[in-house]
This record gives sequence, structure tokens and C-alpha cells, in this order.
Amino acid sequence: MDEKFDCIIVGAGVAGLSAAMTLARANMKFLLIEKGEFPGSKNVSGGVLWGNDLAKLVPNYWEEDTGWDRFINHRRLTFLDEESSFSIDFKSSHFNEPPYTGVVVLRSKFDRWLAEKVEEAIAESDFAMDSFIAPNILVEEVLMENGKAVGIRTGDEKFFTDSIIIAEGVNNLLTRQVGLQDKYVPADHMLTGVKEIIRFDQSILEDRFQLNGKSGMSNEFVGFATNGIEGGGFLYTNKDTISLGLVLGLKDLREKEQAPYNVLNHFKKHPVIADMIRGGEVVEYSAHIVSSGDKRVMPEKLYKAGLVICGEAANLLMNAGKAIQGMDYAMRSGILAAEAITNAKENNDFGEEAMKAYQTALEDSYIMKDINNFQDAVHLLHDPVMTQKVPNLICDFGRNFFSIKNEPTPKSRTMLRGAIKRHASYWELLKLGIKGGKAL
Amino acid sequence: MKLLSLSEQLGLVSYRNQAKSEIKPHIVVDTDICNSTCPHKCTTYVCPANCYTKDENGKVHFQVEDCIECGTCMYACDQGAVSWEFPDPEIGRGVTWNYG
Repeated sequence: MDEKFDCIIVGAGVAGLSAAMTLARANMKFLLIEKGEFPGSKNVSGGVLWGNDLAKLVPNYWEEDTGWDRFINHRRLTFLDEESSFSIDFKSSHFNEPPYTGVVVLRSKFDRWLAEKVEEAIAESDFAMDSFIAPNILVEEVLMENGKAVGIRTGDEKFFTDSIIIAEGVNNLLTRQVGLQDKYVPADHMLTGVKEIIRFDQSILEDRFQLNGKSGMSNEFVGFATNGIEGGGFLYTNKDTISLGLVLGLKDLREKEQAPYNVLNHFKKHPVIADMIRGGEVVEYSAHIVSSGDKRVMPEKLYKAGLVICGEAANLLMNAGKAIQGMDYAMRSGILAAEAITNAKENNDFGEEAMKAYQTALEDSYIMKDINNFQDAVHLLHDPVMTQKVPNLICDFGRNFFSIKNEPTPKSRTMLRGAIKRHASYWELLKLGIKGGKAL
Repeated sequence: MKLLSLSEQLGLVSYRNQAKSEIKPHIVVDTDICNSTCPHKCTTYVCPANCYTKDENGKVHFQVEDCIECGTCMYACDQGAVSWEFPDPEIGRGVTWNYG
């Protein structure tokens, strides 16, 4: 492989594979390098892949039973206090027809499957023998020449290229090396995700969560789940397992001196959660850092001459209360990166301006529009009033509202007033309401 | 459902190069910093794999064998004690997720 590539992609996650698929279809000669044993082997997500870009990359993917686990037609947001849960629950057959607007995936399986699809696209391209997915290789350095990225180094070996797509994930060492991210990123706006995969007999899982065929549920949790730590919990139904986990503000964990695995067990002990997971068998425990969608820590510039950054390496992830979106951002940003590089190849110019076109496209896409629009929502969701007091208040109100005592029933607003008094102040809620009104 | 201890949870993780007795650590910790100037020693509780432990004298020790490459310590340590790299595929440790 002494010949130069059009593009080298670092990292076979959702962003890297989506870029690779787009390049293969555009007849580009590329090398996709993955440090794990196979694509997906080092990747962890919650996780739901939202939106329908997957259908653009792999048309009719739903006709196959492999790769993805379930489509989402049932959403639930649950507030927890110590003994109760109060949920907003939405289920609709509207979501039953493909292209689905959210699919649950397990990355070790999904990324590997997507890589097979990329291999098929390579085989159909003009560079069937010259484009590669190369696992088991760790990129140690991006080679720069006169301010332009020209290749990568792994051990003593060097590979040269016209362009590089860095899709290395949130622990973005190469992004730091080329100077697009600070060498040290503080804990302030990062979260630690911990998760267990819990297996059930498939019919028990389907009965318990009211699943039909390949339908699935996503459930997010706030309140008791995180034991006072900023963040939240999640439960997603896979084929015959569930993904149950937490995302925990790392700065808050540090200040409150808590261990993530202890908080996870605290969550599992909640009576409502215990009922959901009864009889299950834990088959994997995993953890990973995740960014928060707070713009204050995102790399501002995502390109250099001959190089672009996409996916979580660029901290493209957001939870604005509606869904935790990361993989769809990875997918779209990978596609946009590959399109910018394909254009650069056509014009035979991989300079800084050509790479800037990627960031411009990203700014014009729903990703940066949403991230810019919902910064207030991101801040609101990390407000301790929102993560602790509000869930307690809601559950307290629920307990009173749903208690039938064979005695005169107070009006709901009296109950609500009581609940507010016990858990927060009107002033706090007013501030939160104003913030919330602005944010949404 | 029975809750798992961390060692039971880590027992479910597939590590690479597990048969090799000599591995190259991908994380190097300057525990002199932890044990002299660090005010919180936070890695001993925020690490999801408990790779950082405190002995009976409160001294911090680090082992890389259980590391699941999550990255937590790289952000949590604000004292400059943690040098974090990805493991070498041939002579490093690190994970291969079965589910992910």
C-alpha cells in the first residue's frame, strides 16, 4: 500500500463507517482504520440511533433481521422519587412502518454489520481492490507537512493520503494532537455512562414491555435514578436483552464522591426498576465517557488543511430532553465529511477552505441548528432543581392525586401547592419555568 | 434480581491479550502526584472499573488490567497525573465488547 489514498478515516464507529459508505459510493479510494479487533468491538452507546439517515446509507435495512435490534414505537419519560414513578408515556402505531424514526442498536453487532455493508459498497466501487477496512491498527500520529495533514503513523509504518477524517470518538487524542481540542479537557461538561446488558427469555421480554415483533421501547429516567448526581437513566429494549444504564455528570460524581457502579445498583434497587428487570441475567457491564452537548467544551474549529473531525470526536451529541442524540449526529456528520472530501477531490484542492466546506455544511444541517437552538435546554437539564426537586415534587403530587382515601378529596391545585411547598420554592420553579419556556 | 458486585460485573468483560503475561500499559499514572498534592484522589471512586484503589494508609495505587478504556480518569484527574493512550492491539490490554 505505498500508493496515496484519497482519504484515510480513523475509527470505524458510526461516523467513520458512514463516511466510508459515502466515499465508496462516490468511487473514492480510502483506508478506514480501526484499533479494535473488528468494527464495533470497542464501541459503546445507550443506545438508540434516531432519525432515518440509516435508510439512506442502507436502503431497506429493515428487511434484514441482523444489525439492528428493534424499532422504537413506544417512548417514556419517567420521574422517580424513592418509592414512586410518574411517567409521560407515548406509544403509537404511527411509528410501526419503515423507514423507522429510531432503532435500538448494540454497537458490537451494529457497527460490524454496517462495516459489512461498507465492504459490499467497496466491492462495487472502482477501487474494489484498493480501498480497505483495516482493523487492529492504532493510529498514533497524524502526519502534518506545512500545516497540511498528509498521512498517519502507526508504529513505524506510515500511510499517506490527500485527506483525513478523524472519527475517533469522544476520547479524541488525535484531535488534541492536531490542536483542534485542548490537551486537557476538564470534567465539567462530560458525563460517565455505565450500562448493563440484561438478558431475558425473549417471550418474557416481549410480554413485559408489550413488544410486538420487532417493536421496541425507550425509557429515560430522572430523579432517584442518579442518587443526587446530575444526569439520568435509560432503558432500551433490544431483541432479547435490555440496555439499562445511567449517564452521570463527572464533575458532580467527583464532588459527591460516588462510584458509578454503586449508583447503577442504587438505580436497580428502585422498586419500579426492580419489577422491570426481575428474572434477568446480566451478560455485560460497560462504561464510556459521553459529551453533554454543551457548546462550551466543543472544539470550535473542525477542520485543518487536509483534515476534518466528525462524530463524538467533535463532541456532536445532545440531550435536550426529547432524546439522547449522538449516533445520528455521527452518521450525518460522517456523510457530510465524506461529501466535502469528494468535492475536494473533484476540484483537486484539499486545502483549508475546501475542508471548511464541511463545517459550513454541518452548521447548515439540523445538527448544529439543534445544538445552537437548544443550549438553554441542555443547561436546564443539568440544573439540580430539574434533576432532583422536580421529580420528587411530581411523584409527591402523583401519590396524593392517585390516593383514594374515602374521605373528602382536596382539589388538585391544593395538592400541587402542598407538593411544591414540600420539595421546592415557587421562586425556584418560576425561574425554572422561565428557563424552560425559553429553552423549548 | 440479585445485584452484581463490581468484580462480578468485570468478570463479564472480554479483555484482549488476556493470555499474555507481559502487557504494555496504555495508561501511566504518576501516583506521586496522587499521594502528595492531590486534594481529592477522585479516581479511586469515579473509575467505573476501580482501577485506582487506596490502601490502608490512604495511598493511591493503579492497575491497568481491569481498564475498559472508558476515558473517565482522563477527564476526572485535574492534577496532571494521568497519561492516557489507547492500548496497543498487539501488546496492550483493553476491551472487546460482546454487546457494546
